[in-house]
This record gives sequence, structure tokens and C-alpha cells, in this order.
Amino acid sequence: MLEKIKFEKFTAFEKMEVEFSPGINIFVGENGTGKTHILKAAYAACDIAKSKGGFAEKINNVFYPSGKQIGRLVKRSSVSSNGSLEIIRKLDHGKKIALRLSLSNHTTKPEKAKISGSPKAWTESSMEAAYIPVKDMMANAPGFRSLYKEREIHFEEIYVDILDKAFLPALKGPTDGQRKKLLELLQNAMDGKVVIKKEEFFLRNKQGELEFTLLAEGLRKLGLLWVLIQNGTLLKGSALFWDEPETNLNPKLMKAIVSILLELQHIGVQIFLSTHDYVILKEFDLQMQADDRIFFHSLFRNEESGEIEKATTSNYLDISPNAIDDTFGSFVDREIERSMGRLGK
Amino acid sequence: MKLENVDGFTFNFIDAVNAFVFDEKDKSKATFHGQPMKAVDILVELADAYLFIEIKNFEDAQAYDERKFSDDDDSKKKHDNFKWLKNYLKYKYRDSYLFRHAEEMVDKPIHYICLLNFDNALNSIMEKKLKQELPIGKASRRWRRELVASCQVVNLEKWNRNFPKWPVLYIAGGAV
Repeated sequence: MLEKIKFEKFTAFEKMEVEFSPGINIFVGENGTGKTHILKAAYAACDIAKSKGGFAEKINNVFYPSGKQIGRLVKRSSVSSNGSLEIIRKLDHGKKIALRLSLSNHTTKPEKAKISGSPKAWTESSMEAAYIPVKDMMANAPGFRSLYKEREIHFEEIYVDILDKAFLPALKGPTDGQRKKLLELLQNAMDGKVVIKKEEFFLRNKQGELEFTLLAEGLRKLGLLWVLIQNGTLLKGSALFWDEPETNLNPKLMKAIVSILLELQHIGVQIFLSTHDYVILKEFDLQMQADDRIFFHSLFRNEESGEIEKATTSNYLDISPNAIDDTFGSFVDREIERSMGRLGK
Repeated sequence: MKLENVDGFTFNFIDAVNAFVFDEKDKSKATFHGQPMKAVDILVELADAYLFIEIKNFEDAQAYDERKFSDDDDSKKKHDNFKWLKNYLKYKYRDSYLFRHAEEMVDKPIHYICLLNFDNALNSIMEKKLKQELPIGKASRRWRRELVASCQVVNLEKWNRNFPKWPVLYIAGGAV
């Protein structure tokens, strides 16, 4: 389980520290406040156990700075500067280990960056993780993975990682009750189940098999979630990172998505979401029970310093600032201005 | 013009000609309501408008959010709660209007403001429904005048931001 992440002069952050909920973490904030950066950095740390090059290379591949010069991930400054990123993780038996990446803006290659903490212990006890990016890749799966391996194409590694995970074969043995329940919830929401044939995904239901290229993009995301649960990527102790789940999804489907995410949390999956969407935020507020462990992290720019800061709360009504509700609030202001003019002002 | 502790809120209408508790239950007061009609909480007369103000401060605001439900029964309950509140706010306004009509005190545009402790989005949903059903403006082609000029559903923060001349303070524990 990831416990904490700390940034210093890294990408958009001057100094940032976020303590994670072991359950669900929801990041809200305007564009450019670093929501995706937190998700990507935490994901990269989970996935290094499986990548050959270690943390620095994983970070470089996941963020994909121009020319893959890792030093460009140090926060921009007029003078030479050093940046760092540290993640603290709690192992199953309670021991805490850290993984730290330090680099300067002149560091060109990942191997020149400094890795400290306990990288060995970190990689030895691997942590399964999946990162669902904003753009759907399921329909473009055929050939993409081999293209990525053979050619230098300008895609962050998260896009090929998610396909690699989607293509993992199903777990051996019968599906346990909790996973079965989750799969059924998803099947109801998307009206079918997913089958893979020669690197191509299909949704199978009573009407037949529909290739993902013909399927609404929102449903492809549900399909992806189904596959990740079915093949055992998302099990107890794993982490799910989902960047803007609302993209291309009908808000009506959000109720099902949120109940699935809450259920995943119950089976021990640590969840990280970024969102701009009122419906998803409100769904969590409405569906959460006393034993759910949800942190809402609001990222915002300090008006004086211009730096990004955050406020964390477990209570929906206390999210402040709340860029999403503020949008509705600005409608309220304009509506009053329009219909009541200067009255009361 | 100050109104103390109306359902736990203190109002100050700095530019008002008159402001009083509309559903006044004290017989000794000139503003005693006393009719078997629904009544909004506060009535304010400004130089060129009236304000009808209704306050609802729920302990459990979620009970009115029909988008949350655990099962079909709960869904129906929430839906019914929301509908109940919408109708409650609607008929409060209409009865109050009738009362004022009989007083011959509907000579200026009337703005209806509901102060609810919901978030902005849920308030917006309520406002849309109310606007349709009150209804606001000259809704019928046959109407020569409007029943209500505008309807706003706001929370405390939005009230104070938009109406700096009418500051409201909430005293915790005083709510219904």
C-alpha cells in the first residue's frame, strides 16, 4: 500500500506532500495543478518491480519529457536546480520502505539520476498496478504493442502498459465470490462480457460479438475494467490509477462505476482517481458508507506564491477549494445577476 | 432592518423599506398571519421590489438527493423527498402570493429566494424545477403580469457573496 508521496521541485510542484488513503484517493483541481503527475509518479513506483531499467527509467518513460531528457522533469527555474520525488510504501507486515529519485535539471539520462531509499526491497516485493489513461487504447490494441517495442513512437509508457495488462490471460481456478460480483456489476452496466481474439477485443452479448472499434468509447473503459478484474490484475494489495474516469462516459454509468470502485476498495485495491466531474464526486459522497476510506485531495494554486498546494479531507462537503462545485457556483452568480440585477448589491 | 433568529439565521436588510417574519404566529403583532395558508418565512419590501424568502436548513441534506439510493425503496423515498421539498417550496410561494394579493401588496416585482444548505449543483437542480413549476415570468400568453419575477435557490455562502447588502449569519444549533 502506498502511504505518502513527496515532491520537491519536480514537474509542476515546488514542494508537495500527499498522504494517501489506503482506500480511495480522489484528486480534484483545475487544469495544470498536477493531478495527473501525482498519479503517474505513484504508478511508476508501483510498476518498477516489473520494468528492467528501475525507477528513473520508469519515471522517464511514463512522463516522456521532450527528447526523453529526464532533467526536464525538474521544475523549471532560471538557475540550475535539483528536484526529487519520494514515495513511502507500507508492506503487508507493516514495515515501511521508501523509494527516492533525485536529479538535476542537467541530468540527461535516467541512469545518471540518483535512486535512494530501499529500491531492492521495493522491487523484491512487487506491487501490481494498472493505470487507465484518459485516452482509450483498447480499440487500437492490434499491433500497437509490437509497434511500441520496435519503434520510437511518441507515447507515454502508460499506454502500452495498460494493453500489456489487458492481454494477460485469465487467472487459473474458479473466480472467487467478490470478483464474480464485480464482474456481474460490470456486465450489467455494459450489457455483455469481453472476449479477446488475436489481439482484438470484442464485447459479447446476446446480439453477438461487437468489435471495440464499433463500441462507444465509454463502454470500452468498462470493458477494460472487466478484463483487469477478470485476469487478476486488480486483486488485494494492488493499485488502480484512473485518470478522469468520466471521459466519454455517460454520467448515468457513473453510478455503476463508483459502486464498482467502492467494491474494489473493499477487496483491498488502493485506488487513485483524478476528476473534473461533479457526478463522480457526488456519487462517491452519496454511496460512501462509514467504513469506506475516501480522501478527497484538492489541488490549487496559492494566489500569492503561485505555487500548487493541496487540502485533503474525507468529507465531501469540506472539499475546499472545490473547482467543480465552484463552476456550478459561478452559474448561480451569473443567474442571480441576470434575473435580479443590482438588487442586494 | 434586522431580523433576529429566523430558523437560526440572523438577517440584516440594510436598504429595506420593511422586513418582517411573514408567517408570524404572535397575535399581538401587526404582521400576524393567522390564515390556514402556507407562508414563506420572511417578507422584505425594497424600494422597487419585494423579496419572499424561505429557509430550509436540513440536518440530512442527502435525504433529498434522489441520485443516491441503496435500493428501489430508497430511490423512491429520495425521489419522494425531493419532490416533497419542491412542492413545499412551490406552494409556500403561491399561498404567500395569494395572501399578499388580498393585501393588495403585489405592486412590485417579487423575487423568491430559497436559502437551502445544499451544494451549488443540487441547489441548481431545485431551482430549475421551481422555475418551471412556479412558474417564473409571464409564463402564459394570457397573463398580463407575472406571478414571480425570479427564483433563486442558494446556500449561505452564495447568499452572502451575491447579496452583500443583506448579510446573513447562521447561529449553529438554532436551525429547524
